[in-house]
Amino acid sequence: MTSAVWLEIEPALLPSRIQMAFTLASHVLLVPLGVALPTLTLLMEGIGLARKDGTALRIARRWSVVMAVQFAVGAVTGTILSFEFGILWPRMMGRFGSAFGLGFAIEGLAFFLEAIFIGIYLYGWNRLRPRTHFLLGLVLPPAGLLGAFGVLAANAWMNTPAGITFQGANVSDVDVMAALFTRALGYEFWHFMIAIYMTAGFVVASIYAVAWLRGRRDHYQRLAFAVPFTVAALLTPVQLVVGDLSARAIAEDQPAKFAAVEITWQTRDHNPEVIGGLLDDSGTVHFGISVPALDSVLVGYSPGTVIQGLTSFPTNSRPSTVEANIAHLAFDVMVGLGSAGAALAAWHLWVLVRRRRLSESRWFYRLAALAGAGSYVAVEAGWITTEVGRQPWIVYGMMRVSEAVTSAPAAFVWSMLATLVAIYVLIAFFFIALLLRLAARWRQEDLRESATPEVGVPYGPRPRTFSA
Amino acid sequence: MPEGTAFLLLLAITAYSTAGGVDFGAGIWDLLAGGSERGREARALIDHSMAPVWEVNNVWLVLGIVLCWTGFPLLFQTVFAGLYPLFAFALVGLILRGAFFAFRHIADEPRAHRLADLVFGLSSLLTPFFFAASLGAIASGNLEPISPMSIAFGTVSLAATAFSGASFLVGDARRYGAEEMVTYFRRRAVVAALALIVVGTAALATIAFEAPALFRSMIAGKGLPFALVTMVLTPVVGFLLWRGIFRWYRLLTVAAVGSLVFAWAFAQSPYLVPGRLTIAQAAAPPSTQVLLLVVAVVLLLVIAPAMGLLYYLDQRGTLESP
Ligand code: HDD
Ligand code: HEM
Ligand code: HEM
Repeated sequence: MTSAVWLEIEPALLPSRIQMAFTLASHVLLVPLGVALPTLTLLMEGIGLARKDGTALRIARRWSVVMAVQFAVGAVTGTILSFEFGILWPRMMGRFGSAFGLGFAIEGLAFFLEAIFIGIYLYGWNRLRPRTHFLLGLVLPPAGLLGAFGVLAANAWMNTPAGITFQGANVSDVDVMAALFTRALGYEFWHFMIAIYMTAGFVVASIYAVAWLRGRRDHYQRLAFAVPFTVAALLTPVQLVVGDLSARAIAEDQPAKFAAVEITWQTRDHNPEVIGGLLDDSGTVHFGISVPALDSVLVGYSPGTVIQGLTSFPTNSRPSTVEANIAHLAFDVMVGLGSAGAALAAWHLWVLVRRRRLSESRWFYRLAALAGAGSYVAVEAGWITTEVGRQPWIVYGMMRVSEAVTSAPAAFVWSMLATLVAIYVLIAFFFIALLLRLAARWRQEDLRESATPEVGVPYGPRPRTFSA
Repeated sequence: MPEGTAFLLLLAITAYSTAGGVDFGAGIWDLLAGGSERGREARALIDHSMAPVWEVNNVWLVLGIVLCWTGFPLLFQTVFAGLYPLFAFALVGLILRGAFFAFRHIADEPRAHRLADLVFGLSSLLTPFFFAASLGAIASGNLEPISPMSIAFGTVSLAATAFSGASFLVGDARRYGAEEMVTYFRRRAVVAALALIVVGTAALATIAFEAPALFRSMIAGKGLPFALVTMVLTPVVGFLLWRGIFRWYRLLTVAAVGSLVFAWAFAQSPYLVPGRLTIAQAAAPPSTQVLLLVVAVVLLLVIAPAMGLLYYLDQRGTLESP
């Protein structure tokens, strides 16, 4: 059987997959700034405190507001996700919840901490002594780290399940450590942590790159650009190495996914690396650039390395050609953007080290302005590689997506999907409107001098008076 | 040990019903505050008292869900397979509510503002009703989404929510010295307490009809002490607020609503779904339970002081200039 057949037997499968993908893809857009922005904010606050720089403190204070807004929207979309596990995949949860769920229990703890400390951090501006405020803020980065660990442990478990003992079809025992620290966690966790720090850095910097292009070149703009951009630039080359390690690891742990990602049809040595290109059902690759033997060299450091092809797996246990093509193109997009990011990072670091200043080239700032959006695209592409490449499995080798899906009527899932899309569009609109309003308010405040930016935002303190 | 996890699950549900209930209740009074002009003052107060806890109560909800699927996977599967429509509606209410609460702060145009108020208010009805309805469907044992039991539980939840919302709004009005608003919400709290007594009695009758075993346990078994606490405290709070005695009323409100939830849970224990699934049958393997309990202990140790600090900062903020 192949995915086409399952889609016919389980009419709710298609809308469920689309809904899961849509809501996850939306949620993950909020994650980088939710998790990594606190660190950048603290870095900026630290600079402000160390150098007695009021501008740096003002930047930190404003970033803290953006971080709270992000977190609030993340909480809403995350809550939806947790219900979807039950609404869309009840059979997976019933069977594997005791192992798959562990990561989320830890994540729950982390989010609780984060929600409270974001509150404390926002309330604490000017109410606590600056040092105390900074020190309390230091809880946020590890809390974010712990949260990411939880989610990724759950995701890695789906990719390389471990730590469970069966009694018939039921899970009778769980080895907690083995289920949390599965093989895939090693690469997914570090790759993802670096990805979100890179993304947060590039995204925040891209805003001030646009400000530069519009002619703003004061201390405020330079500082708010340089700190996050430099953090991201330093991480980008590391990411290439870690990403390369991930690819090599999935060649071993998840060979069907690797075959899909490289659109390798037949098992062979001297396997070429195909850049772009599409696979058809007969195993022929159309379009694209093929570099002879490169894939074998990358995996095993020798052209003689044998790479498993898609046809070495039964059709009901490997991604379909369409899925393989999606995973492959997503992978190429991720790698392409990562390499482009590395080039831009090299430019920045070169100028910084050689000339001890920021670049003054318009082209540099144009590209820096694009780097933010590029990072988001790379993150999405990475998740598509991971998730679509695992098909048809929801738990690799143990349960197919078609065996996990809800028995609710397809019409119900389609209507829920339509409702959610409409609501998400609305949320996105409000979210952007709110951020734009904050930006406009801050620009005005720069002209005057007041500024308690955190009053009235989610998790922020209440205004001191109330009036109708 | 699974009993321990089940108790944690109950605590999460109770925390969501009480803390979340206060929030949803405020939304219900927002809906009932009347036209733009008439309701202005009440809405301003509601806005003000909700802002700092905006959606933070979701944490309890998610904690409950995670405890459920990790600690009792089979319960999670059974409940969601049967009751997904109820959860879908509750969820839609939840998102719309959050979104439109935020939106009404940025809507400048009067018509858009009015619309935001309306959606916010209506979705504040949707979520507590449907979440409680799912508990009703569970309590009935047959997991029918639409049944007398689910409707009875949903209705009780609306009354309880409105009751706790009004009671806490009295407190907020007092804190800001808004005398008129104190009277306004005092009256509403009394009405809501009466409503809760009426609907609660009707619900008890429904339970007697639909789930006799549950009813027996509520009037003569493990559910009884908690049912009694609710029955006594609700009129007490109503009386205190009617006479304008501003002591203990918030704490007693929480106790009344909380023991309502406890009454249901203890009455149906050791069943998770009466007649179908017991705690022991649905429980995850012991090692998973251990991890959940460890997480809970850490949560308690770390969160309690942090919450205290946040509360202190919130209270101090109104005393001090920046
Ligand atoms: C800024 C974002 C970003 C960048 C520049 C890259 N990646 Fe990536 N990648 C991710 C963001 C990401 C991600 C979104 O974080 C994923 C999804 C799941 C995960 O754990 O990380 C991911 C997954 C992912 C996977 C799948 C892991 C699995 O399925 O278990 C592989 C093989 C790679 N990446 C490889 C690379 C390579 C070879 C890169 C560059 C040379 C690269 N990534 C750059
Ligand atoms: C935020 C990052 C993620 C993104 C963008 C993402 C994306 C996707 C996509 C595109 C699919 C559809 C695959 C297909 O149908 O061909 C999918 C499926 C799914 N993902 Fe992910 N995913 C992410 C992370 C996760 C995590 C962390 C989990 C669970 C811990 C998860 C659980 C699932 C499930 C249950 C499905 C449905 C079954 C399936 O189609 O594989 N995903 N996801
Ligand atoms: C680590 C940074 C992340 C942040 C700050 C974040 C934000 C949130 C928040 C606030 C919640 C709701 C929890 C609550 O209200 O208590 C949540 C839930 C969720 N998030 Fe994220 N998210 C993060 C990472 C991710 C990633 C990377 C994925 C998927 C790839 C993901 C998938 C989910 C899922 C499936 C849920 C629902 C289950 C649960 O709440 O435990 N999250 N997220």
